[in-house]
Amino acid sequence: MNETPDPVTLAVLENRFRAVVEEMGEALLRTATSQILNSSRDFSIALCDDQARLVAQADHIPVHVGAMPLAAKAVLDAFGGGIAPGECYLLNDPWHGGSHLPDLTIIQPVFEGTILRFLTVVRAHQSDIGGATHGGYNPAASEIWQEGIRIPPIRLGEGDALRDDLVRMLALNTRIPRDFTGDLMAMWGAARLGAKRMDALLASHGGARLAAAVDAILDLSEAHARRIIEGWADGDYEGQAVLDDDGHGVEDITIRARVTKCGGQVSVDLSGSDDQVRGFVNSSWPNTLSAARMALAYLLDPEVAKNDGAFRALDLVAREGSVVNARPGAAVTLCTSHCSNEIVEAIVKALAPACPDRAMGGWGRRFRVAIQGTDPRRAGRRFVWHLFHARPGGGGHAKGDGWSSVGEWHSAGGLKFGSVEMAEARFPLFFAHHELRPGSGGEGQFRGGLGAELDLRIETAGAARANTAGDGVRHGAAGMLGGEDGAPHHYTLRHADGTERDLKTKEAGVVLNPGDRLIARSGGGGGWGDKAARDPAAIEADKAEGYLPR
Amino acid sequence: MMGPYRIGVDVGGTFTDVVCVGSDGATLLAKAATTPDDQSRGVLDGLGVLASMLHITVAEMLEVTERLVHGTTVATNALLERRTARIGMITTEGHRDVIEMREGLKPERYDLRLPVPAPLVPRRLRLPLRERIRPDGAVKTALDAASLDEAIATLKAEGVAGVAVCLLHSWRDPAHEQAAGAAVSAAMPGVYVTLSSDVLPQIKEFERFSTTVVNAAVGPIVAGYLARLETRLTEAGFHGPLFVILSHGGVAPVAEAARLAAGTALSGPAGGVAAGLALARAGLGDNLVTFDVGGTSTDVALIEGAEAALGRGRVVGGERIALESLDIVTLGAGGGSIAHVGAGGMMRVGPRSAGAVPGPACYGGGGVEPAVTDANLVLGYLDPDRFLGGARSLDRAAAEAAVDRLAARLGLDRLACAAGIHALANVAMADGIRVATVRRGVDPRGFTLLSFGGAAGLHASAVARDLGMGRVAVPLLAAGLSAWGMLQTDLRYEVSRSLVGAAGLPDEPAIRALFAELEAAARERMAQWMAGDPAIRRSADMRYGEQVFEVGVPLDAVDWDAEGLPAALAEAFHARHEALFTYALRGEEVVLVTARVAAVGRLPPLPAPLLPEVPPAAPVATRRAYVAGAMADLPVFAFTALAPGQPVAGPAIVESDTTTVLLLPGDVARLDARGWLEVVVG
Repeated sequence: MNETPDPVTLAVLENRFRAVVEEMGEALLRTATSQILNSSRDFSIALCDDQARLVAQADHIPVHVGAMPLAAKAVLDAFGGGIAPGECYLLNDPWHGGSHLPDLTIIQPVFEGTILRFLTVVRAHQSDIGGATHGGYNPAASEIWQEGIRIPPIRLGEGDALRDDLVRMLALNTRIPRDFTGDLMAMWGAARLGAKRMDALLASHGGARLAAAVDAILDLSEAHARRIIEGWADGDYEGQAVLDDDGHGVEDITIRARVTKCGGQVSVDLSGSDDQVRGFVNSSWPNTLSAARMALAYLLDPEVAKNDGAFRALDLVAREGSVVNARPGAAVTLCTSHCSNEIVEAIVKALAPACPDRAMGGWGRRFRVAIQGTDPRRAGRRFVWHLFHARPGGGGHAKGDGWSSVGEWHSAGGLKFGSVEMAEARFPLFFAHHELRPGSGGEGQFRGGLGAELDLRIETAGAARANTAGDGVRHGAAGMLGGEDGAPHHYTLRHADGTERDLKTKEAGVVLNPGDRLIARSGGGGGWGDKAARDPAAIEADKAEGYLPR
Repeated sequence: MMGPYRIGVDVGGTFTDVVCVGSDGATLLAKAATTPDDQSRGVLDGLGVLASMLHITVAEMLEVTERLVHGTTVATNALLERRTARIGMITTEGHRDVIEMREGLKPERYDLRLPVPAPLVPRRLRLPLRERIRPDGAVKTALDAASLDEAIATLKAEGVAGVAVCLLHSWRDPAHEQAAGAAVSAAMPGVYVTLSSDVLPQIKEFERFSTTVVNAAVGPIVAGYLARLETRLTEAGFHGPLFVILSHGGVAPVAEAARLAAGTALSGPAGGVAAGLALARAGLGDNLVTFDVGGTSTDVALIEGAEAALGRGRVVGGERIALESLDIVTLGAGGGSIAHVGAGGMMRVGPRSAGAVPGPACYGGGGVEPAVTDANLVLGYLDPDRFLGGARSLDRAAAEAAVDRLAARLGLDRLACAAGIHALANVAMADGIRVATVRRGVDPRGFTLLSFGGAAGLHASAVARDLGMGRVAVPLLAAGLSAWGMLQTDLRYEVSRSLVGAAGLPDEPAIRALFAELEAAARERMAQWMAGDPAIRRSADMRYGEQVFEVGVPLDAVDWDAEGLPAALAEAFHARHEALFTYALRGEEVVLVTARVAAVGRLPPLPAPLLPEVPPAAPVATRRAYVAGAMADLPVFAFTALAPGQPVAGPAIVESDTTTVLLLPGDVARLDARGWLEVVVG
């Protein structure tokens, strides 16, 4: 056991570790090629120690965070003592340290002489990963091979360079090799920058001292988390959340969380969840673990450092073959949205009676639509447009009403929708209406945030086609502690002749004709507490402001 | 000191700094307490102090004052404290929640219980106007007079002080906004009316609407304040022009600052960057990191190639202001930052601050938690009897007691704890600078750390070492540098026009016509402000066809008289993209989204005399201070008594009435005759 550093050195090093991951994130943001990384910021950064323990992370996409150490561990398991300085590793496979195929993870080892000390980890969502459909989300997939290229841990680089042959082979398997290669270089650059900063810290402090500091930092976070959890009522709790369907005929897929809270420990057993299904809502183990950790992080104070120490306060069991721990080969691409949202919700719901002031109403589900067509103003030019507008609402909580139009549990206000003016200028689309959706927030002492309403008119040259991927048209975001559920999504397709039909969340090849309208009403957040306890003045204010229908 | 005078006034959180430069180049710094309820009182107080230093009356001084430049935090404070004006908004029907939906973003990723901030305009005062313009300028729905009348009736009944008119695609055609704005102004005289097409005529409604709403929310307050200040100054005998420094670092007359009040949100710290630019021109070096350490925070900006970076991503008090603004990063560590044991059990410094009241424990204002200044006092870096030239004495016992309380919790002795506080403040500052510089793709090692603000000199050497920066500069005027910088900057007015819809670049005549039109508008405005020919600076926001985000491309290097303008613009973009992102796609379509022209009216430069040759100065005292792990006797030099070029080897302390510089072992400092202490970091 190494000697614990003094409090000043410890605080300095803790700052340094955080600054390293933040700097890596800035570097990736600045150098990434594709829009999904440099504008939607769908990436995350972590620093792990030589045992693949999470030491520090930068606040990016919550659903990535708890899973990244498993990627580091997968590399250690696969290569162990064979890892050498100047190398770098890559993976994406959910049964080899990944969560779903679009998320690539680069792992860069950091050495002190010949001793492995740290791993810098960069995970980023790719705009395409091969497979049957553009962009990775394939509602028709019934097995992972239809979802993209699978990459177990591979040695992508050696001698401080990437292996060109491997990079070319991978790029060849994606639809936009230029974006893929550019993003991969940017990820590697960020990982190496982090490694360089860690080299400097190792040179000035020595590996043994840094390792002792890591032990102490993790112990402090663990104690911090446990101190908070100890304040919650001990007991055995249950919570559940339900998905609409898998797109292949299975409905009401239920996630069941049995949670035991005892002292400073939270034990979650998801084994009672339904069996795995054919469609892509199955979750891989790393994604399920990450979702459970995300739920815990949301219930703790935001100041608790999200690292291995804090997560020691959580243990998780999930039966293999269930929808939350699918067997190798299952389709899983939607899992970072669904069912990760439902895993979080089931756990929060279970623990709500134990820590009512911390539990929040459910956050909205994801319902994505991609439209492909031709713009009459740019003859013959095809376009693909992804719907990020009409964001759902966040949940109410003990301190107040939920945030409106901020999205889902998995990103929690971290994903941006683009400008309506820019979309109209660049795509043959007309945004007749895009406002908050009155009354969509679940009622309660504190109501859920509102979803949004979008009336989008199609002005393409000839027919366009749309694909959907999401959930939550039958089940809204859960109400908590007597609060009511938020309104579910309700998307309709209204044809120029006045006929209309509801859109399903997992459809491919929907035909849209010029003059058709996509009317998206996104779900609101869940309410918190009994609505009878709501301040009458707040109800009056909601009516005056139009947050409730008059 | 000889008149005529130029006077810069910087209103900070605690002090109002007034700097006067005479026609002989002599410089005086006066300080008065800031008066938060009405900053103009503190300004007049500061002028009073200055006049007494000059041994004349305020009226006599102002009589021969050629110009007065002012940096104000009125707009900033209104936004931070959410004491903005009660306002309404008129907006396109079907789109009244743009400012509340915030593009789907929420701050503080892991705080799901964060309270929702009230929008600057409540939803019921965001009133729909039936009208619609297309991105190509076509009118889809004509402006409906009945809906306008209804909106105006509501706003009148509510008695709002300001109205923001924000319609979709007004960047393309402002006609509907102008008609609505005229009707509001006619119906509601005295109300502050602002149009999005006037504030920020460019595509992307969230940025434009948010900026315009901020403008309406702070406009009545800023306009009222500046009117009061002008009245007080006139009554005191000032008849020259009063300029206000804006967020972009240029200055403008009062009327313009009142019209574009949202553009004063960074008026305070902008002076420091302007000073950095002036010092770069004076020979300090082209690449600087400005490092302004104040009581509650530290402002950092980059000067690269003698140019300050500008950005459009500013958020103040949670509100987006997309006007051109200096890229200043504010770190939550300053002299007043409090050291404590965090909830996680880790020792921390900041972001909580002792502020001006109660202030650090050593101020004797009732503070009991140790602030960075307390630690610096305990470590011997400050002379308790000569703080601010003796204007304030520091209570050493109170500082020690505050440090001791924290030390006991951490199991440290007093000195180790104080040294830890000092070291953690340094680390927070260095890490902040590192992240800020990598964000701009810059390696700080080739830069000089320009340190100013009262407290920077105690941290600069350690911060520079940590960042691998070999050179630190501390101006003689460090404690009033922002006010001095305001006198060094020029008039600036920017116009822009978005141009979306057409694919790719316009043809050569269209590009020329567009920029010529913008240039004419900029020249016309500048002609109202000053005589003489302004410098014209062109730039454009451009992107590749499939990209979503534009890159700002300076076009000053483009030869506007040569043929082949579209190709030259495209190449300027490729080169910029390559510099920022390591690659260019020369085969791809290039799109010009927004054209910009700035007119810069040069104000007469100030004389800058060299410091006189004097014999080398000996130390004026010895002080026991903590260096390299132990207390030692350090020589103390008087900053103003040093001979230019005289080497001072660390460890040592160099101090003036308003600033103290700590030199670490290995450092060698020399006073540069142009007015700054240059430290080669050991």
